Amino acid sequence: MLYREAGQFKSSYGADQAVFPIAQDRWFIAAAAVFAFVVVPLIADDYWLQAILIPLLVYALAALGLNVLTGYAGQLSLGTGGFMAVGAYMSYKITTAFPELNIIVVFLFSGLFSAAVGIVFGLPSLRIKGFYLAVATLAAQFFLIWLFNKVGWFYNYNPSGTIDAPPRAMLGVLITGAEAQPEVKYLTALSLLSVFALLTKNLVRSSVGRAWMAIRDMDIAAEIIGIRPLRTKLLAFAISSFICGVAGAELFALHFGSVETLAFDINLSFLILFMVIIGGLGSILGSILGAAFMVLMPIALTNLFVGGLGMQAVTAKHTEFMVFGGLIIFFLIVEPHGLARLWQIAKEKLRLWPFPY
Amino acid sequence: MSQPQKKIGDTLLKVEDISLSFGGVKAISGVSFEIKEQEILAIIGPNGAGKSSMLNVINGFYHPQEGTITYKGEARHQMRPHNAAKQGIARTFQNIALFKGMSTLDNIMTGRLLKMRRNFLWQALYWGPALKEELAHRERVEQIIDFLEIQAIRKTQVGRLPYGLQKRVELGRALAAEPDLLLLDEPMAGMNVEEKEDMCRFVLDVNDEFGTTIALIEHDMGVVMDISDRVVVLDYGRKIADGSPDEVRGNKNVIDAYLGVSHD
Repeated sequence: MLYREAGQFKSSYGADQAVFPIAQDRWFIAAAAVFAFVVVPLIADDYWLQAILIPLLVYALAALGLNVLTGYAGQLSLGTGGFMAVGAYMSYKITTAFPELNIIVVFLFSGLFSAAVGIVFGLPSLRIKGFYLAVATLAAQFFLIWLFNKVGWFYNYNPSGTIDAPPRAMLGVLITGAEAQPEVKYLTALSLLSVFALLTKNLVRSSVGRAWMAIRDMDIAAEIIGIRPLRTKLLAFAISSFICGVAGAELFALHFGSVETLAFDINLSFLILFMVIIGGLGSILGSILGAAFMVLMPIALTNLFVGGLGMQAVTAKHTEFMVFGGLIIFFLIVEPHGLARLWQIAKEKLRLWPFPY
Repeated sequence: MSQPQKKIGDTLLKVEDISLSFGGVKAISGVSFEIKEQEILAIIGPNGAGKSSMLNVINGFYHPQEGTITYKGEARHQMRPHNAAKQGIARTFQNIALFKGMSTLDNIMTGRLLKMRRNFLWQALYWGPALKEELAHRERVEQIIDFLEIQAIRKTQVGRLPYGLQKRVELGRALAAEPDLLLLDEPMAGMNVEEKEDMCRFVLDVNDEFGTTIALIEHDMGVVMDISDRVVVLDYGRKIADGSPDEVRGNKNVIDAYLGVSHD
């Protein structure tokens, strides 16, 4: 009843192919955008912004990147952390070499480097598939981390081996560095996520996206239609690593401010992969929902255990691990297609609710 | 049965002395035949006769050890399937090979992939030339959807469709490429009489309205004898007959192959 498309007629194919063809969806997304862009910066404190919301947005962007590769093109990858490290280290190199360059441009250039690395490590995908490809991308993860540890040039021979985000401003407002306001960093991360989510959505509803999904669903038939497997897969690797590279640069410059390679180890790759699986493979919204789930749920559990039940901090931490693991399994059993699918089912139910039929 | 008047033209594709083996197994040995423009050619034969292998050779999926294939007057060498697609050869599969996670509309749109020119940067913007192109192709795809009478399922994920409709969507995807040569691998397998009649009508209409040359593999002899202009019979990887349905029906070798005569 609340969510009906009755009476909403489309008189052109363009209207039928819009991202949000139904009016209720458009209202909802507009409200969500106002909330995220205006309300949140006004009401959230520095802790919420810096420790929770900024990483959430950055992880959501990384999950979006991995979803292009794994969810849409069907290529399982465990190299996300490595590709994000490329973004982080290249953004550091570029911004220290060209301090005048706009920081957003720096992010995008770091993404290009990451894309190039992604193409190289995507080459084996022509021959190997599934779990075997995952192992091959694991090589990217370990090699890249080793490289950034080993070669001093990447961290400007800093004796501590870390890279620090220098203060960079755009239009007179500091975006990175210790003095930058969390609100500004938050809005930067949110804007980048919004733009990339829109661009990715456009890609996956065009012929490029259809080629990716064709390769994912039935690669032999895809080839017979005229899709070139290597080119299509490498484009997926390139775009995926580009987005992951930008996310890595953001993780370094907006969230941590100072990182070493440990921040980009295999655990990060797994974290992003879990976000994609729990959020929903092959769904833009799922990438964001998955990141929100993985970031917010542990915090909610900790608050419940410590604040609500009065547990010791250590006990709460251990209980949290168990409950969180249990929740992940629960969600995967209830809906293997992820949170995005649950959202879709909820919308279908809302068409009739509160009437039975 | 009143066949519409057709102009069967020159040779479109010619296979000569094709031999294909997998290790020690000879799938096809020394087969030659022609496919003429605008005709419906049926390839029949008992199971394991090499029919599907023959189609795989024609669209570049298998590479025969011997023999030549001449398509549109040019001999081909070591062709990859996407080259075949580029030159206007489309096909359907014996076991449906649709993209199960995508809608009917997207499946058929994928069939037009080679005709879409805009690169991914334009597509990421989904604006200007890319949007115009997308909508123009959508319009063509809608014509195919109308032709195949599958309007009601255009937004349905194909994995959820019944078998007969999936076969129809697969035909739609092949048609979307506007092929010159359409290869159908058992288009009526597993269908009931009504679905078969529908499918026959679509095959004849495609041939008639679009002038598409069709080569099909089929086991239902009633269908084969009714709709095809010419029949090639394979058995144990060899061609044993080639001619009009009536000639083939009376051919002794064919009767032997189907009724089973010891090969010695």
